[in-house]
Amino acid sequence: MKTLRKAILPFVVIALFAFLAACGGQSSSNGGSSSDAKSGQSASTRTDKSKLVIGLDADPPQLDPAMSTAAVDRQVYQSIYNTLVDIDKNLNYVPELATSWKISDDGKTYTFNLRKNVLFQDGTPFNAEAVKFNFERMLDPKLGSPRLSEINLIDKITVVDDYTIRIHLKQPYAPFLSVLSDRAGMMVSPTAVKKEGKDFANHPVGTGPYKFVKHVKQGDLVVERFDKYWGNKPKIKTIVYKPFPDGTTRLTNLISGDVDIVNTIDYKDIKRANSAANLKVSSTESLGFQGIQLNTKVKPFDNKKVRQAVNIALDRNAIAKVVFFNGVVPATSPFPETSWAHPSDLQVPKADVAKAKQLLKESGLSNVSFTLKISPSPQEKQLAQMIQSMLQQVGFKVKIEMVEFGTLLEQTAEGDYQAARVGWSGRTDPDGNAYAWFTTNGTLNYMKYSNPEVDKLLQEARTSLDQEKRKALYDRVSKILWDDAPYIFLYYPKDYKAMKNDVEGFVHVPDIMIRTENLQFK
Amino acid sequence: MSQTNAQTAAPYPNRLESSPRLRSLKKALGRFFQNKLGVAGGLFLLILVILAIFAPWLAPYNPMKQDYMAILQGPSAKHWFGTDDLGRDVLSRIIYGARVSLKAGIISVAIALAIGVPIGLISGYFRGFWDEFIIMRITDAMLSFPSLVLALTLAAVFGAGLNNAMLAIGLVYTPHFIRLVRGQVLAQREREYVEAAIAAGISHWRIMLRHILPNAWAPIMVQATLSVAGAIISEASLSFLGLGTQPPTPSWGSMLSEGQGYITQAPWIAVFPGLFIFLAVMSINVFGDGVRDMLDPKLK
Repeated sequence: MKTLRKAILPFVVIALFAFLAACGGQSSSNGGSSSDAKSGQSASTRTDKSKLVIGLDADPPQLDPAMSTAAVDRQVYQSIYNTLVDIDKNLNYVPELATSWKISDDGKTYTFNLRKNVLFQDGTPFNAEAVKFNFERMLDPKLGSPRLSEINLIDKITVVDDYTIRIHLKQPYAPFLSVLSDRAGMMVSPTAVKKEGKDFANHPVGTGPYKFVKHVKQGDLVVERFDKYWGNKPKIKTIVYKPFPDGTTRLTNLISGDVDIVNTIDYKDIKRANSAANLKVSSTESLGFQGIQLNTKVKPFDNKKVRQAVNIALDRNAIAKVVFFNGVVPATSPFPETSWAHPSDLQVPKADVAKAKQLLKESGLSNVSFTLKISPSPQEKQLAQMIQSMLQQVGFKVKIEMVEFGTLLEQTAEGDYQAARVGWSGRTDPDGNAYAWFTTNGTLNYMKYSNPEVDKLLQEARTSLDQEKRKALYDRVSKILWDDAPYIFLYYPKDYKAMKNDVEGFVHVPDIMIRTENLQFK
Repeated sequence: MSQTNAQTAAPYPNRLESSPRLRSLKKALGRFFQNKLGVAGGLFLLILVILAIFAPWLAPYNPMKQDYMAILQGPSAKHWFGTDDLGRDVLSRIIYGARVSLKAGIISVAIALAIGVPIGLISGYFRGFWDEFIIMRITDAMLSFPSLVLALTLAAVFGAGLNNAMLAIGLVYTPHFIRLVRGQVLAQREREYVEAAIAAGISHWRIMLRHILPNAWAPIMVQATLSVAGAIISEASLSFLGLGTQPPTPSWGSMLSEGQGYITQAPWIAVFPGLFIFLAVMSINVFGDGVRDMLDPKLK
């Protein structure tokens, strides 16, 4: 008995301290962040300028762009691979491995002139045959590449000469260049693929500025400068990628650890990062949208008025302020402000509880209740509780159910849900934000939404090469989607990257990738 | 249990003094009150029970009321424990959270008792193949799992929610009671009074319920009290991981998980529920120790 009591004493003392710490929380947290800032290294003290450490939000599962399904993979690919075409800050297509290209008038034939004197990191020369090999590899159903659905409109690939390749499409497909600016356009070494087979994902070889050295699972991924790189020779010799799934840990390691730049910071940490004296923060709007997916085939959301009631009852500005500390942009359509397809005349309306009540009454339903499925993160929980509370004022009874993210995607794909908090990371071309989501039987249309007019407009928009005409079509789509409300657009995420003050050369492109080629220390 | 008996007994000392049974009860209570820590634990538990029962009157705010103008405010005269990321009053949520925690602790253990005691009793009394090779092996298998992992698995199978979480926790604690009761019964069964009862032709059921069980009751009560503490932690863990209480109902575990992201800028959101989990579990443990001292006849 005595010994137990003695053993308890330290706990009581700890509890007391915890209590005092909590009472003085405000001041101690402020004190904490400023001392954080001071303890971090400043620009002038850096001695080793040959190594840069990048903090990622997850460990990249695998390094073969043809097989990749995780967004975080792409961060590492920026070092190892080049794409045929790249995008710049303003989402214009710029040359990378292709120096120029021509699109035929019918929009079905793309001719690329390829860069000369490019070597893969294993010494294999890059040429038209290599490009052909890459596309044929991704098109081979036996590989099971997730890229297949992005490029399955390719009919035929012709090698015109060593440095010219012609790709024939089955039908005009306006987003084709945007697809080539992502993983489908990343060229891997044919020699290495033939040699490594499936193991290529662990021994990747590309044409990028850095070559792969090693990857410890859930640990360091190291790449080293490729001395025969065709472009500007990188200033930094070694880049190390480290995974930090927890946002607070990631930022703390940036402020006072050896991390130099992180691929994302939590919205709630923006202020902390901004106030840290040794950091700078860069932000850009990204390409995606976030909101609530409604199953239009089940009650109560098979009723359009109910969907409309939800749509106008939610105070998007309050959500942006409370959950995201105004780090996001309230949304009304699938096209964020970075996109030329963004409908500027579709303003974010004020939440209108009275009108929502009216709509709910017109729907003929009473005691409307539904389950909102979310993934179990604190931020999602907070957002869901705001939605729950806002809809309660209208008369909805919302039950929140937390489901692991993979399961959530599975359940929505199977139609086993009423409402679900699922968003989209977005694509450069507006087609990538709309076609698969909102056409009847679209591959991501888990709302089971079907509107023949939307189908027609989106089909027309993807086959036309005239941007002005496409913009008009997408504007109409946005309006119809707002009215039909199969998906409640809540916000456009923004991307925040924080880095040490002496990290230079970072260009914030809306595809949120860290292009390592031009990074250097002051 | 015996504590409440004693309180009602106190006003009539003269009339009851003569009963030897009550005299030993009084002695036992005396032993309990000697254990200061146990008494302190009991008092804190009493406070929690009062908070839980009278939550609607005691809580200064509606625990679900969101105030977007007052998010992440530190402790102040208006909000003693500060406000959370949705502008809700943390103190009010803790008071309502006591309901969830106590309910989860008591009901889960009640489930474990309801299943575990009869099985342990029958298993220990009749012994044989079912006891040795079926029931004991199943309990061994269940006991070999870390209890939280098992609770997580069960809660995931049943689906998220407080009721399912309580059921899962109850099932996880059941084998502990089966083992304990069986051990007690095995020991009692060899006693002469049982032999005498059998010789007198009393039915097995009556022997089990009227003769053996009362003699095995003390360790079961102590184990039950301590298990309540474990069950409270389990519920908090499940809620922390999203499988327990569902939002917006406040529970200490889910408050802790909601607050973890703000631990640097608004520590009060996580620290206060953490403190209450700690204090509640601690007081149940020391209270349980007190009860054990009280029921232990060797400590005179």
